[in-house]
Amino acid sequence: MRVAAQTGGLLEIDELTRRYGTVVALDGLSFSVQAGQVVGFLGPNGAGKTTTMRAIFGLTDLDSGEVRWNGAKIDQPTRRRFGYMPEERGLYPGMLVGDQVEYMGRLHGLSATQAQAATNMWLERLGVADRAGNKVDVLSHGNQQRVQLAAALVHEPELIVLDEPLSGLDPAGIDDIGAVLVERAAAGCCVVFSSHQLDLVEDLCESVTIIDHGKLVTSGRVDDLATSGPRRLVVRVEGDRDAAWAKKLAGVKVSEVNGGEARLVLDESTDGDVVLRAAMAAGRLSEFSFARRRLSEVFREAVA
Amino acid sequence: MKPFIILAVVAVIIALRVTFHLRGRRAKAVSSAQPQREDSTSVEPPRRSLLVSVFGVVGLVAQREVRERIRGRVFQVGTGIILLVVIAAIVIPVLTRSKSEPERVGVVGTLSAPLRTAVMATADAIGTSMTFVSEPDSSAADADLRSGHVDVVIVDAKQVVVATAISAGDTSATAQLAGSAAQTLGTAAAFQAAGLNSAQADAISHAKPVPLVGLRPAPISHHKHSPASVVTLVLVFVMLGQYSTWILTGVVEEKTSRVVEVLLAAVRPAQLLGGKVLGIGLVAAAQASILVAVALGLSEAVGSDLLHGTGPVTVLAALLWLVLGYAFYCWVYAAAGSTVERQEQVQSLAFPLTIPVLVGYISSLTVATTGTPNTFVDVLAYLPPTAPFAMPTLVGIGTATWWEFAISVVLSIASTVAVARLATSIYRRAILRTGRRVHIRELLPAKPTSSR
Repeated sequence: MRVAAQTGGLLEIDELTRRYGTVVALDGLSFSVQAGQVVGFLGPNGAGKTTTMRAIFGLTDLDSGEVRWNGAKIDQPTRRRFGYMPEERGLYPGMLVGDQVEYMGRLHGLSATQAQAATNMWLERLGVADRAGNKVDVLSHGNQQRVQLAAALVHEPELIVLDEPLSGLDPAGIDDIGAVLVERAAAGCCVVFSSHQLDLVEDLCESVTIIDHGKLVTSGRVDDLATSGPRRLVVRVEGDRDAAWAKKLAGVKVSEVNGGEARLVLDESTDGDVVLRAAMAAGRLSEFSFARRRLSEVFREAVA
Repeated sequence: MKPFIILAVVAVIIALRVTFHLRGRRAKAVSSAQPQREDSTSVEPPRRSLLVSVFGVVGLVAQREVRERIRGRVFQVGTGIILLVVIAAIVIPVLTRSKSEPERVGVVGTLSAPLRTAVMATADAIGTSMTFVSEPDSSAADADLRSGHVDVVIVDAKQVVVATAISAGDTSATAQLAGSAAQTLGTAAAFQAAGLNSAQADAISHAKPVPLVGLRPAPISHHKHSPASVVTLVLVFVMLGQYSTWILTGVVEEKTSRVVEVLLAAVRPAQLLGGKVLGIGLVAAAQASILVAVALGLSEAVGSDLLHGTGPVTVLAALLWLVLGYAFYCWVYAAAGSTVERQEQVQSLAFPLTIPVLVGYISSLTVATTGTPNTFVDVLAYLPPTAPFAMPTLVGIGTATWWEFAISVVLSIASTVAVARLATSIYRRAILRTGRRVHIRELLPAKPTSSR
């Protein structure tokens, strides 16, 4: 029915600055996102994620900076080919689900027939086809989220921007929505979603952009970020819930202890064998493995 | 005047068709959600909407407004209630106006022919018809009074009896007839006691007053009390209030449900606002047209006073001013709604906005009910916020000339254009601000440029 979104789209965020009184929400933020991948836009609460996303859609005034799509400043016709799912969900509470999604499709340029077909397809794809004749406000939170996503995807946008799409969802919901996002990216879309739960999204996105205080912290492919940086070990010594043995070791930093399982960051010069011997000396060893760097660790180590 | 009846019937048929069409769509929406459905897109011809092809995105927004409003139970029930009120306002005066039953006056003993003529004349004077019924004696007359067979009994031309004693404020035909009959008989008895012959008595009772001379001629008065202007004034007030509330709650609903974020990611604020105003305006115009068509058609059918004198002109003037009033107030309410943060703030916000409406309405209603013009309302007729009430009222009592009417219309249109611009600018700045109520101060000065 519709041509698949073209590949090769490029979203550029260029030197965005936004102040609210004395609060600096965006402080010269720049990054770019290539189409064809799912990109996690991460950072703690208040980092400026939502402001950045709203800036893409012209929903916030900017003090300076520019957002470009394929090299051109984004205008209204271009924006109609984008899809947006804001953090605070926005649906008409009293409108029928099917009508609502269809209406969003029409606003984004679909004909009545196209919008109806696409609505049926997306509601089915997201498992809420049987709710098409219901009003939005009788739906559960999870189902409202699915309808909201359908409303953002119904016109098969080139760029999909989702603000905290996974918050408040059960694992099944996260899997379903995650699968849809991965599928859209594979079809050539540019998919950007934000989250403040950095570790939750590792499996979902190919690359991430991490920001804090309105500035870029780091960005790159998840695999590259996870394998770079100092080595880390996960060690569990039975009977030592506080990992007291590791705290005495030189060249080793205990990054966290969780129920007896210690996560250790090794200095460049520290030998893994030394740690293994110390652990065995401390008690019965039930776990000892090298681990990938988590995104939360990437963030923590970058801002340290 | 058959066209009015035809118009009324056509309007009702269109309204019913629209309702059924929407019901059908809803049913289809539900059934198409069933997994076993056929691919309906291949068989269905592409739907074309005039609104969308003429107004584009604005038309799309308007189309949604029209559909959601008409579908709403509030609209359906509200239209029904207003229709009933209009029908009642037209039919009830007609029914009460012509009392079909003449007053029945029982006569015990003798009542001379001149006295009978005199009593008949008093009945004529109070605007009722009457017949005499002969009663054999007082007890039979009392029984007939109690059973309601007669309304008044005259006993030997000396006494007037009614079933229930007449209270001071009773203006019923029976009370008036009994009172004036008693007066007439008393006067006749007094003339007789004074020894006047019938020619002398006649001369006294038909005496002419002496001439009453004024030094200056009386102002030419063509003011008439017009029932049409009261009815239409109330309707303009009710309907304008309803449509303004739709705009206000519609804007607030979009802002507080945050759906506006999603909408404005695709359309401009001016398009969204324009579509809302257009859509609700269309529903309002349709509802008002149906009402006017029904009112005029029904008035013609039952022979109501509504169509006499200034009636039809008043109704048409009110319809025009309903449109102008909506055009003016919709922007005001939209701008106000965009500054609201929570649904609860609507009440405190709506109150100051209703003050000019109430002032215009109440002052005009006083004029319409008394038929007496006053300077205050003459002034209000030129102020765009109050003109929708005051100007049709002046038309109704017949004091407005065509050029006064035209000046007021031009003033209203000009100020509507200015208000629309200001409101759109406020709306654009306020609709995306969340977290707290937006103050008008922040909305007026220039702000950093946005991409819109």
